[in-house]
Amino acid sequence: MSEPLSVSQALSLAKGSLEKLSATIVGEISEYSDKPGYKAVYFTITDKSAALPCMMWRSAFDKLEIALKQGTLVEVSGFFSVYIAKGRMNFSAQTMRLAGEGDLRLKVAQLARKLEAEGLMSPARKLPLPEMPGRIAVVTSPRGKAIHDVMRTLRRRFPLAEVQVVGVPVEGEAAPKALIEGIEVAQRAQSDVILLVRGGGSYEDLMPFNDEALARAIAASRVPIVTGIGHEPDNSIADMVGSYRASTPTAAAEHVVPDIRDLKVKLEEQSRSLSAALSNRVGRMDSILASIRSRALFADPLFMVGGYLQNLEQSAQRLFVAVPNALRSDIHRVEMLRGRLARVASTLFSPQQSKLQLLAAQLESLSPLAVLARGYSIAYDAKGHVVDSVSTIDLGDVLDVRVSDGEYHCRVETKNQIDRVGSDLETDADE
Amino acid sequence: MSEEHKAVTGTELEELTFKQASEELEAIVRELEGNQLELEESLIRYERGVALMRMLQSRLQGAQQKVSVLLGQIEPESDDSIDTSLS
Repeated sequence: MSEPLSVSQALSLAKGSLEKLSATIVGEISEYSDKPGYKAVYFTITDKSAALPCMMWRSAFDKLEIALKQGTLVEVSGFFSVYIAKGRMNFSAQTMRLAGEGDLRLKVAQLARKLEAEGLMSPARKLPLPEMPGRIAVVTSPRGKAIHDVMRTLRRRFPLAEVQVVGVPVEGEAAPKALIEGIEVAQRAQSDVILLVRGGGSYEDLMPFNDEALARAIAASRVPIVTGIGHEPDNSIADMVGSYRASTPTAAAEHVVPDIRDLKVKLEEQSRSLSAALSNRVGRMDSILASIRSRALFADPLFMVGGYLQNLEQSAQRLFVAVPNALRSDIHRVEMLRGRLARVASTLFSPQQSKLQLLAAQLESLSPLAVLARGYSIAYDAKGHVVDSVSTIDLGDVLDVRVSDGEYHCRVETKNQIDRVGSDLETDADE
Repeated sequence: MSEEHKAVTGTELEELTFKQASEELEAIVRELEGNQLELEESLIRYERGVALMRMLQSRLQGAQQKVSVLLGQIEPESDDSIDTSLS
Protein backbone atom coordinates (compact mmCIF):
# COMPACT_ATOMS: atom_id res chain seq x y z
CA MET A 1 0.00 0.00 0.00
CA SER A 2 1.39 3.37 -0.95
CA GLU A 3 1.53 6.36 1.34
CA PRO A 4 -1.70 8.39 1.54
CA LEU A 5 -1.73 11.44 -0.75
CA SER A 6 -2.11 15.02 0.30
CA VAL A 7 -5.22 16.77 -0.98
CA SER A 8 -3.13 18.71 -3.41
CA GLN A 9 -1.44 15.62 -4.67
CA ALA A 10 -4.77 13.83 -5.08
CA LEU A 11 -6.33 16.68 -7.02
CA SER A 12 -3.26 17.05 -9.17
CA LEU A 13 -3.57 13.42 -10.01
CA ALA A 14 -7.21 13.80 -10.93
CA LYS A 15 -6.48 16.95 -12.92
CA GLY A 16 -3.82 15.09 -14.90
CA SER A 17 -6.22 12.30 -15.74
CA LEU A 18 -9.16 14.53 -16.58
CA GLU A 19 -7.20 16.78 -18.88
CA LYS A 20 -6.62 13.86 -21.18
CA LEU A 21 -10.37 13.76 -21.64
CA SER A 22 -11.34 16.16 -24.42
CA ALA A 23 -14.85 16.67 -25.78
CA THR A 24 -17.19 18.87 -27.87
CA ILE A 25 -20.33 19.69 -25.91
CA VAL A 26 -23.56 21.52 -26.78
CA GLY A 27 -25.41 23.23 -23.99
CA GLU A 28 -27.36 26.28 -23.03
CA ILE A 29 -25.67 28.95 -21.01
CA SER A 30 -27.42 29.20 -17.64
CA GLU A 31 -25.10 31.57 -15.84
CA TYR A 32 -21.97 33.41 -16.69
CA SER A 33 -19.38 35.82 -15.34
CA ASP A 34 -17.67 37.99 -17.90
CA LYS A 35 -15.88 40.63 -15.89
CA PRO A 36 -13.31 42.80 -17.59
CA GLY A 37 -9.92 42.48 -15.95
CA TYR A 38 -10.34 38.77 -15.21
CA LYS A 39 -8.08 36.46 -17.10
CA ALA A 40 -10.92 34.10 -17.95
CA VAL A 41 -14.67 34.08 -18.46
CA TYR A 42 -16.70 31.61 -16.42
CA PHE A 43 -20.03 30.13 -17.44
CA THR A 44 -22.20 27.13 -16.88
CA ILE A 45 -23.77 25.11 -19.66
CA THR A 46 -26.77 22.98 -19.00
CA ASP A 47 -29.22 20.62 -20.52
CA LYS A 48 -32.42 19.39 -18.95
CA SER A 49 -30.74 17.35 -16.25
CA ALA A 50 -27.13 18.37 -15.94
CA ALA A 51 -24.92 21.41 -15.46
CA LEU A 52 -21.25 21.83 -16.31
CA PRO A 53 -19.15 24.75 -15.07
CA CYS A 54 -16.86 26.02 -17.80
CA MET A 55 -14.06 28.52 -18.18
CA MET A 56 -12.38 30.02 -21.19
CA TRP A 57 -9.27 32.13 -21.31
CA ARG A 58 -10.13 35.68 -22.19
CA SER A 59 -7.45 35.83 -24.88
CA ALA A 60 -9.35 33.13 -26.76
CA PHE A 61 -12.85 34.31 -25.86
CA ASP A 62 -12.37 37.90 -27.03
CA LYS A 63 -11.62 36.75 -30.56
CA LEU A 64 -15.03 35.10 -30.88
CA GLU A 65 -17.22 38.22 -30.75
CA ILE A 66 -19.83 36.26 -28.87
CA ALA A 67 -21.81 38.01 -26.17
CA LEU A 68 -22.57 35.58 -23.38
CA LYS A 69 -26.27 35.53 -22.65
CA GLN A 70 -28.43 33.35 -20.55
CA GLY A 71 -30.22 30.78 -22.70
CA THR A 72 -27.79 30.99 -25.60
CA LEU A 73 -27.09 27.61 -27.11
CA VAL A 74 -23.36 27.15 -27.54
CA GLU A 75 -21.03 24.49 -28.74
CA VAL A 76 -17.75 24.29 -26.82
CA SER A 77 -14.67 22.18 -27.48
CA GLY A 78 -11.95 21.57 -24.90
CA PHE A 79 -11.10 19.28 -22.03
CA PHE A 80 -12.11 18.61 -18.50
CA SER A 81 -10.00 19.96 -15.69
CA VAL A 82 -9.92 20.50 -11.95
CA TYR A 83 -9.62 23.75 -10.09
CA ILE A 84 -7.30 22.51 -7.41
CA ALA A 85 -7.82 25.33 -4.91
CA LYS A 86 -11.49 24.46 -4.59
CA GLY A 87 -11.41 20.86 -5.68
CA ARG A 88 -13.92 21.59 -8.39
CA MET A 89 -14.21 19.96 -11.71
CA ASN A 90 -14.76 22.19 -14.71
CA PHE A 91 -14.54 22.20 -18.46
CA SER A 92 -11.84 24.27 -20.06
CA ALA A 93 -13.23 25.50 -23.37
CA GLN A 94 -10.69 26.15 -26.08
CA THR A 95 -13.19 27.16 -28.76
CA MET A 96 -16.79 28.17 -28.63
CA ARG A 97 -19.44 28.90 -31.26
CA LEU A 98 -23.11 29.59 -31.18
CA ALA A 99 -25.21 26.56 -31.88
CA GLY A 100 -28.67 26.33 -33.50
CA GLU A 101 -30.56 29.63 -33.47
CA GLY A 102 -27.59 31.21 -31.79
CA ASP A 103 -25.60 30.41 -34.86
CA LEU A 104 -28.25 31.94 -37.09
CA ARG A 105 -28.31 35.03 -34.95
CA LEU A 106 -24.58 35.37 -35.21
CA LYS A 107 -24.73 35.13 -39.00
CA VAL A 108 -27.55 37.67 -39.09
CA ALA A 109 -25.61 39.98 -36.81
CA GLN A 110 -22.60 39.70 -39.08
CA LEU A 111 -24.73 40.51 -42.16
CA ALA A 112 -26.26 43.41 -40.31
CA ARG A 113 -22.80 44.77 -39.55
CA LYS A 114 -21.79 44.39 -43.17
CA LEU A 115 -24.88 46.17 -44.51
CA GLU A 116 -24.58 48.87 -41.93
CA ALA A 117 -20.97 49.44 -42.94
CA GLU A 118 -22.24 49.88 -46.51
CA GLY A 119 -24.59 52.57 -45.27
CA LEU A 120 -27.79 50.70 -46.09
CA MET A 121 -29.22 51.46 -42.66
CA SER A 122 -28.31 55.11 -42.62
CA PRO A 123 -31.25 57.32 -41.57
CA ALA A 124 -30.49 59.53 -44.57
CA ARG A 125 -31.45 56.65 -46.88
CA LYS A 126 -34.86 56.17 -45.34
CA LEU A 127 -37.65 57.51 -47.52
CA PRO A 128 -40.26 59.77 -45.95
CA LEU A 129 -43.69 58.19 -45.59
CA PRO A 130 -46.68 59.72 -47.36
CA GLU A 131 -49.07 61.50 -45.04
CA MET A 132 -52.18 60.10 -46.68
CA PRO A 133 -51.32 57.27 -49.05
CA GLY A 134 -53.80 56.65 -51.82
CA ARG A 135 -52.49 53.15 -52.55
CA ILE A 136 -51.00 50.83 -49.98
CA ALA A 137 -49.36 47.62 -51.11
CA VAL A 138 -49.19 44.77 -48.62
CA VAL A 139 -46.47 42.26 -49.37
CA THR A 140 -47.16 39.27 -47.20
CA SER A 141 -48.54 35.79 -47.15
CA PRO A 142 -52.06 35.58 -48.60
CA ARG A 143 -52.72 33.09 -45.85
CA GLY A 144 -52.68 33.73 -42.18
CA LYS A 145 -53.68 36.55 -39.93
CA ALA A 146 -51.22 39.20 -41.00
CA ILE A 147 -52.99 40.19 -44.23
CA HIS A 148 -56.34 40.37 -42.48
CA ASP A 149 -54.96 42.33 -39.57
CA VAL A 150 -53.56 44.84 -42.02
CA MET A 151 -56.75 45.11 -44.09
CA ARG A 152 -58.91 45.43 -41.01
CA THR A 153 -56.69 48.12 -39.56
CA LEU A 154 -56.60 50.08 -42.81
CA ARG A 155 -60.36 49.77 -43.21
CA ARG A 156 -60.93 51.00 -39.70
CA ARG A 157 -58.46 53.86 -39.79
CA PHE A 158 -58.38 55.03 -43.38
CA PRO A 159 -60.84 53.38 -45.76
CA LEU A 160 -59.99 55.99 -48.40
CA ALA A 161 -56.81 54.17 -49.35
CA GLU A 162 -56.80 51.39 -51.90
CA VAL A 163 -55.20 48.23 -50.59
CA GLN A 164 -53.06 46.33 -53.07
CA VAL A 165 -52.52 42.80 -51.90
CA VAL A 166 -49.29 41.15 -53.01
CA GLY A 167 -49.55 37.62 -51.70
CA VAL A 168 -46.25 35.72 -51.60
CA PRO A 169 -44.83 32.86 -49.59
CA VAL A 170 -42.98 34.20 -46.58
CA GLU A 171 -41.39 31.01 -45.30
CA GLY A 172 -38.96 28.54 -46.72
CA GLU A 173 -36.14 28.76 -49.17
CA ALA A 174 -38.16 30.36 -51.95
CA ALA A 175 -39.46 33.10 -49.71
CA PRO A 176 -36.68 35.70 -50.14
CA LYS A 177 -36.97 35.62 -53.93
CA ALA A 178 -40.77 35.79 -53.75
CA LEU A 179 -40.60 38.73 -51.35
CA ILE A 180 -38.23 40.58 -53.68
CA GLU A 181 -40.62 39.96 -56.58
CA GLY A 182 -43.52 41.16 -54.43
CA ILE A 183 -41.74 44.43 -53.73
CA GLU A 184 -41.11 44.90 -57.45
CA VAL A 185 -44.75 44.22 -58.27
CA ALA A 186 -45.84 46.77 -55.69
CA GLN A 187 -43.50 49.40 -57.10
CA ARG A 188 -44.78 48.78 -60.61
CA ALA A 189 -48.34 49.16 -59.35
CA GLN A 190 -47.39 52.66 -58.17
CA SER A 191 -48.04 52.11 -54.53
CA ASP A 192 -47.47 55.09 -52.29
CA VAL A 193 -46.15 52.88 -49.54
CA ILE A 194 -45.37 49.17 -49.15
CA LEU A 195 -46.12 47.16 -46.04
CA LEU A 196 -43.77 44.20 -45.72
CA VAL A 197 -45.29 42.13 -42.97
CA ARG A 198 -45.69 38.70 -41.46
CA GLY A 199 -47.00 37.36 -38.23
CA GLY A 200 -44.88 36.09 -35.41
CA GLY A 201 -42.89 32.88 -35.67
CA SER A 202 -39.72 31.26 -34.50
CA TYR A 203 -36.43 32.90 -35.23
CA GLU A 204 -35.86 30.34 -37.93
CA ASP A 205 -39.29 31.06 -39.46
CA LEU A 206 -38.31 34.68 -39.83
CA MET A 207 -35.01 33.93 -41.52
CA PRO A 208 -36.20 34.88 -45.04
CA PHE A 209 -36.43 38.46 -43.75
CA ASN A 210 -32.75 38.29 -42.92
CA ASP A 211 -31.83 37.55 -46.50
CA GLU A 212 -29.12 39.72 -47.99
CA ALA A 213 -30.70 40.02 -51.44
CA LEU A 214 -34.03 40.99 -49.91
CA ALA A 215 -32.27 43.55 -47.75
CA ARG A 216 -30.70 45.08 -50.83
CA ALA A 217 -34.03 45.10 -52.68
CA ILE A 218 -35.68 46.88 -49.76
CA ALA A 219 -32.89 49.43 -49.53
CA ALA A 220 -33.15 50.10 -53.27
CA SER A 221 -36.93 50.49 -53.34
CA ARG A 222 -38.23 53.78 -54.73
CA VAL A 223 -41.34 53.38 -52.63
CA PRO A 224 -40.98 53.62 -48.85
CA ILE A 225 -41.25 50.23 -47.15
CA VAL A 226 -42.66 49.83 -43.68
CA THR A 227 -41.90 46.51 -42.00
CA GLY A 228 -43.95 44.68 -39.42
CA ILE A 229 -42.27 41.34 -39.01
CA GLY A 230 -42.84 38.89 -36.16
CA HIS A 231 -43.03 40.67 -32.89
CA GLU A 232 -40.77 42.33 -30.38
CA PRO A 233 -37.97 41.93 -29.63
CA ASP A 234 -37.09 40.24 -32.89
CA ASN A 235 -35.39 42.55 -35.28
CA SER A 236 -34.75 41.37 -38.78
CA ILE A 237 -32.40 42.77 -41.38
CA ALA A 238 -35.48 43.82 -43.38
CA ASP A 239 -36.56 45.92 -40.39
CA MET A 240 -33.20 47.64 -40.34
CA VAL A 241 -33.04 48.63 -44.02
CA GLY A 242 -36.69 49.60 -44.44
CA SER A 243 -37.98 53.16 -44.15
CA TYR A 244 -39.77 52.49 -40.89
CA ARG A 245 -39.90 49.53 -38.57
CA ALA A 246 -43.15 48.65 -36.85
CA SER A 247 -43.25 45.78 -34.40
CA THR A 248 -46.27 43.96 -35.89
CA PRO A 249 -48.38 43.94 -39.08
CA THR A 250 -51.14 45.82 -37.30
CA ALA A 251 -48.70 48.42 -36.00
CA ALA A 252 -47.28 48.80 -39.50
CA ALA A 253 -50.75 49.43 -40.94
CA GLU A 254 -51.53 51.92 -38.21
CA HIS A 255 -48.34 53.78 -38.84
CA VAL A 256 -48.86 54.45 -42.54
CA VAL A 257 -52.33 56.02 -42.39
CA PRO A 258 -53.99 58.74 -40.39
CA ASP A 259 -56.99 57.81 -38.29
CA ILE A 260 -60.24 58.78 -39.98
CA ARG A 261 -61.62 59.85 -36.59
CA ASP A 262 -58.76 62.33 -36.25
CA LEU A 263 -59.45 63.52 -39.78
CA LYS A 264 -63.11 64.06 -38.95
CA VAL A 265 -62.20 65.99 -35.82
CA LYS A 266 -59.68 68.02 -37.76
CA LEU A 267 -62.23 68.73 -40.47
CA GLU A 268 -64.67 69.97 -37.86
CA GLU A 269 -61.98 72.18 -36.41
CA GLN A 270 -61.19 73.49 -39.85
CA SER A 271 -64.85 74.14 -40.43
CA ARG A 272 -64.99 76.21 -37.27
CA SER A 273 -61.73 78.00 -38.10
CA LEU A 274 -63.06 78.77 -41.56
CA SER A 275 -66.23 80.37 -40.22
CA ALA A 276 -64.38 82.10 -37.41
CA ALA A 277 -61.77 83.46 -39.79
CA LEU A 278 -64.39 84.86 -42.13
CA SER A 279 -66.52 86.40 -39.42
CA ASN A 280 -63.34 87.80 -37.96
CA ARG A 281 -62.47 89.23 -41.32
CA VAL A 282 -65.93 90.76 -41.75
CA GLY A 283 -65.97 91.91 -38.14
CA ARG A 284 -62.65 93.65 -38.53
CA MET A 285 -63.86 95.28 -41.73
CA ASP A 286 -66.94 96.41 -39.85
CA SER A 287 -64.96 97.96 -37.04
CA ILE A 288 -62.72 99.67 -39.57
CA LEU A 289 -65.83 101.08 -41.21
CA ALA A 290 -67.17 102.14 -37.82
CA SER A 291 -63.99 103.93 -36.98
CA ILE A 292 -64.03 105.65 -40.37
CA ARG A 293 -67.64 106.60 -39.87
CA SER A 294 -66.89 108.13 -36.50
CA ARG A 295 -64.07 110.27 -37.82
CA ALA A 296 -64.51 114.06 -37.64
CA LEU A 297 -64.60 114.21 -41.40
CA PHE A 298 -68.04 112.63 -41.37
CA ALA A 299 -69.16 114.00 -38.02
CA ASP A 300 -68.37 117.68 -38.75
CA PRO A 301 -69.44 119.11 -42.10
CA LEU A 302 -66.88 121.89 -41.81
CA PHE A 303 -64.11 119.40 -41.07
CA MET A 304 -62.80 119.26 -44.56
CA VAL A 305 -62.81 123.01 -45.25
CA GLY A 306 -62.20 123.98 -41.64
CA GLY A 307 -58.50 123.85 -42.04
CA TYR A 308 -58.53 125.99 -45.14
CA LEU A 309 -60.90 128.39 -43.50
CA GLN A 310 -58.61 128.79 -40.57
CA ASN A 311 -55.65 129.28 -42.84
CA LEU A 312 -57.54 131.84 -44.80
CA GLU A 313 -58.43 133.74 -41.65
CA GLN A 314 -54.92 133.66 -40.49
CA SER A 315 -53.72 134.90 -43.85
CA ALA A 316 -56.22 137.73 -43.80
CA GLN A 317 -55.14 138.63 -40.32
CA ARG A 318 -51.57 138.69 -41.35
CA LEU A 319 -52.43 140.75 -44.38
CA PHE A 320 -54.18 143.37 -42.22
CA VAL A 321 -51.16 143.69 -40.09
CA ALA A 322 -48.68 143.46 -42.87
CA VAL A 323 -50.01 146.27 -45.11
CA PRO A 324 -49.83 149.19 -42.60
CA ASN A 325 -46.54 147.83 -41.43
CA ALA A 326 -45.23 147.86 -44.92
CA LEU A 327 -46.63 151.35 -45.49
CA ARG A 328 -45.05 152.60 -42.33
CA SER A 329 -41.74 151.45 -43.37
CA ASP A 330 -42.29 152.93 -46.84
CA ILE A 331 -43.15 156.29 -45.33
CA HIS A 332 -40.15 156.12 -43.17
CA ARG A 333 -38.03 155.33 -46.14
CA VAL A 334 -39.50 158.17 -48.18
CA GLU A 335 -38.81 160.56 -45.37
CA MET A 336 -35.31 159.40 -45.10
CA LEU A 337 -34.92 159.88 -48.81
CA ARG A 338 -36.40 163.31 -48.63
CA GLY A 339 -33.96 164.27 -45.91
CA ARG A 340 -31.13 162.93 -47.91
CA LEU A 341 -32.37 164.68 -51.00
CA ALA A 342 -32.59 167.95 -49.16
CA ARG A 343 -29.10 167.58 -47.95
CA VAL A 344 -27.92 166.60 -51.35
CA ALA A 345 -29.81 169.53 -52.92
CA SER A 346 -28.16 172.03 -50.64
CA THR A 347 -24.78 170.72 -51.42
CA LEU A 348 -25.73 170.69 -55.07
CA PHE A 349 -26.60 174.41 -55.15
CA SER A 350 -24.14 175.85 -52.71
CA PRO A 351 -21.27 176.36 -55.16
CA GLN A 352 -23.53 178.34 -57.50
CA GLN A 353 -24.96 180.26 -54.58
CA SER A 354 -21.64 181.45 -53.33
CA LYS A 355 -20.65 182.38 -56.84
CA LEU A 356 -23.87 184.30 -57.11
CA GLN A 357 -23.21 186.12 -53.87
CA LEU A 358 -19.81 187.03 -55.12
CA LEU A 359 -21.28 188.30 -58.32
CA ALA A 360 -23.88 190.22 -56.35
CA ALA A 361 -21.17 191.80 -54.27
CA GLN A 362 -19.26 192.71 -57.38
CA LEU A 363 -22.41 194.02 -58.92
CA GLU A 364 -23.12 196.11 -55.90
CA SER A 365 -19.72 197.60 -55.90
CA LEU A 366 -20.31 198.61 -59.46
CA SER A 367 -23.70 200.08 -58.72
CA PRO A 368 -23.92 203.82 -59.22
CA LEU A 369 -25.85 203.85 -56.03
CA ALA A 370 -22.73 202.86 -54.22
CA VAL A 371 -20.99 205.78 -55.78
CA LEU A 372 -23.85 207.95 -54.72
CA ALA A 373 -23.42 206.68 -51.21
CA ARG A 374 -20.01 208.22 -51.23
CA GLY A 375 -21.63 211.65 -51.88
CA TYR A 376 -21.90 211.68 -55.64
CA SER A 377 -25.12 212.47 -57.40
CA ILE A 378 -26.53 211.90 -60.85
CA ALA A 379 -28.45 214.48 -62.71
CA TYR A 380 -31.07 213.53 -65.30
CA ASP A 381 -32.56 215.97 -67.80
CA ALA A 382 -36.22 216.16 -68.52
CA LYS A 383 -35.89 213.47 -70.96
CA GLY A 384 -34.26 211.21 -68.40
CA HIS A 385 -30.77 211.40 -69.88
CA VAL A 386 -27.84 211.53 -67.52
CA VAL A 387 -26.34 214.99 -67.70
CA ASP A 388 -22.69 214.38 -68.19
CA SER A 389 -21.78 217.61 -69.85
CA VAL A 390 -22.75 221.23 -69.43
CA SER A 391 -23.12 221.42 -73.10
CA THR A 392 -26.26 219.40 -73.04
CA ILE A 393 -28.11 221.66 -70.76
CA ASP A 394 -29.40 225.12 -70.98
CA LEU A 395 -29.97 227.64 -68.33
CA GLY A 396 -33.37 227.29 -66.85
CA ASP A 397 -33.60 223.55 -67.52
CA VAL A 398 -35.10 221.56 -64.79
CA LEU A 399 -32.98 218.61 -63.79
CA ASP A 400 -33.69 215.66 -61.58
CA VAL A 401 -30.78 214.95 -59.24
CA ARG A 402 -30.36 211.56 -57.71
CA VAL A 403 -28.51 211.11 -54.42
CA SER A 404 -28.01 208.06 -52.31
CA ASP A 405 -31.18 208.31 -50.37
CA GLY A 406 -33.50 210.14 -52.80
CA GLU A 407 -33.80 212.84 -55.48
CA TYR A 408 -34.63 216.46 -55.86
CA HIS A 409 -35.53 218.94 -58.64
CA CYS A 410 -33.34 221.84 -59.41
CA ARG A 411 -33.06 224.53 -62.05
CA VAL A 412 -29.93 225.39 -63.90
CA GLU A 413 -29.03 228.99 -63.14
CA THR A 414 -25.54 229.01 -64.28
CA LYS A 415 -23.22 226.92 -66.14
CA ASN A 416 -19.50 226.86 -66.73
CA GLN A 417 -17.43 224.85 -69.03
CA ILE A 418 -14.36 223.51 -67.28
CA ASP A 419 -11.31 222.16 -68.86
CA ARG A 420 -11.35 218.49 -68.28
CA VAL A 421 -7.66 218.17 -67.76
CA GLY A 422 -6.70 218.51 -64.12
CA SER A 423 -9.85 220.06 -62.97
CA ASP A 424 -13.06 218.91 -61.39
CA LEU A 425 -16.39 219.56 -62.78
CA GLU A 426 -18.09 222.26 -60.91
CA THR A 427 -21.67 222.63 -60.95
CA ASP A 428 -23.62 225.30 -59.21
CA ALA A 429 -26.85 224.06 -58.14
CA ASP A 430 -29.72 225.18 -55.97
CA GLU A 431 -31.76 222.98 -54.02
CA MET B 1 -61.12 85.92 -60.07
CA SER B 2 -58.18 86.11 -62.46
CA GLU B 3 -57.43 83.28 -64.87
CA GLU B 4 -54.14 82.64 -63.14
CA HIS B 5 -55.84 82.35 -59.82
CA LYS B 6 -58.39 79.96 -61.20
CA ALA B 7 -55.58 77.76 -62.42
CA VAL B 8 -54.19 77.48 -58.90
CA THR B 9 -57.25 76.92 -56.79
CA GLY B 10 -60.03 76.35 -59.27
CA THR B 11 -59.37 72.66 -59.84
CA GLU B 12 -62.55 70.68 -59.96
CA LEU B 13 -63.20 69.16 -56.58
CA GLU B 14 -63.69 65.65 -57.91
CA GLU B 15 -60.21 65.70 -59.44
CA LEU B 16 -58.52 66.34 -56.13
CA THR B 17 -57.18 63.56 -53.98
CA PHE B 18 -58.20 63.59 -50.36
CA LYS B 19 -54.75 64.80 -49.42
CA GLN B 20 -54.71 67.60 -52.01
CA ALA B 21 -58.14 68.75 -50.95
CA SER B 22 -57.32 68.77 -47.26
CA GLU B 23 -54.05 70.60 -47.92
CA GLU B 24 -55.91 73.22 -49.92
CA LEU B 25 -58.47 73.56 -47.16
CA GLU B 26 -55.69 73.95 -44.62
CA ALA B 27 -54.10 76.66 -46.76
CA ILE B 28 -57.40 78.50 -47.09
CA VAL B 29 -57.96 78.44 -43.33
CA ARG B 30 -54.45 79.80 -42.80
CA GLU B 31 -54.96 82.52 -45.39
CA LEU B 32 -58.25 83.58 -43.87
CA GLU B 33 -56.74 83.57 -40.41
CA GLY B 34 -53.82 85.57 -41.71
CA ASN B 35 -56.33 88.31 -42.46
CA GLN B 36 -54.29 89.73 -45.32
CA LEU B 37 -56.85 89.16 -48.02
CA GLU B 38 -59.23 91.64 -49.53
CA LEU B 39 -62.73 91.12 -48.26
CA GLU B 40 -63.94 89.97 -51.69
CA GLU B 41 -61.08 87.49 -51.90
CA SER B 42 -61.88 86.30 -48.37
CA LEU B 43 -65.41 85.50 -49.43
CA ILE B 44 -64.22 83.62 -52.50
CA ARG B 45 -61.79 81.61 -50.40
CA TYR B 46 -64.44 80.94 -47.82
CA GLU B 47 -66.79 79.55 -50.43
CA ARG B 48 -64.06 77.36 -51.82
CA GLY B 49 -63.17 76.23 -48.31
CA VAL B 50 -66.74 75.26 -47.56
CA ALA B 51 -66.96 73.32 -50.82
CA LEU B 52 -63.72 71.49 -50.06
CA MET B 53 -64.90 70.72 -46.56
CA ARG B 54 -68.22 69.28 -47.70
CA MET B 55 -66.45 67.18 -50.28
CA LEU B 56 -63.94 65.87 -47.74
CA GLN B 57 -66.66 65.12 -45.24
CA SER B 58 -68.75 63.23 -47.74
CA ARG B 59 -65.70 61.26 -48.83
CA LEU B 60 -64.97 60.34 -45.24
CA GLN B 61 -68.56 59.36 -44.58
CA GLY B 62 -68.93 57.24 -47.68
CA ALA B 63 -65.44 55.74 -47.84
CA GLN B 64 -65.39 52.05 -48.74
CA GLN B 65 -62.14 50.18 -48.69
CA LYS B 66 -61.06 49.17 -52.15
CA VAL B 67 -58.94 46.04 -52.40
CA SER B 68 -57.07 44.87 -55.45
CA VAL B 69 -55.06 41.67 -55.49
CA LEU B 70 -51.88 41.95 -57.48
CA LEU B 71 -50.38 38.57 -56.55
CA GLY B 72 -51.65 35.43 -54.82
CA GLN B 73 -55.05 34.63 -53.55
CA ILE B 74 -56.29 35.78 -50.17
CA GLU B 75 -57.62 33.03 -48.02
CA PRO B 76 -60.59 33.90 -45.88
CA GLU B 77 -59.72 34.63 -42.32
CA SER B 78 -60.03 31.80 -39.87
CA ASP B 79 -62.65 32.09 -37.17
CA ASP B 80 -60.46 33.38 -34.42
CA SER B 81 -59.67 36.93 -35.33
CA ILE B 82 -56.91 37.65 -32.88
CA ASP B 83 -54.53 40.34 -34.05
CA THR B 84 -51.07 39.09 -34.76
CA SER B 85 -49.98 42.06 -32.77
CA LEU B 86 -51.18 40.17 -29.73
CA SER B 87 -49.91 36.74 -30.67
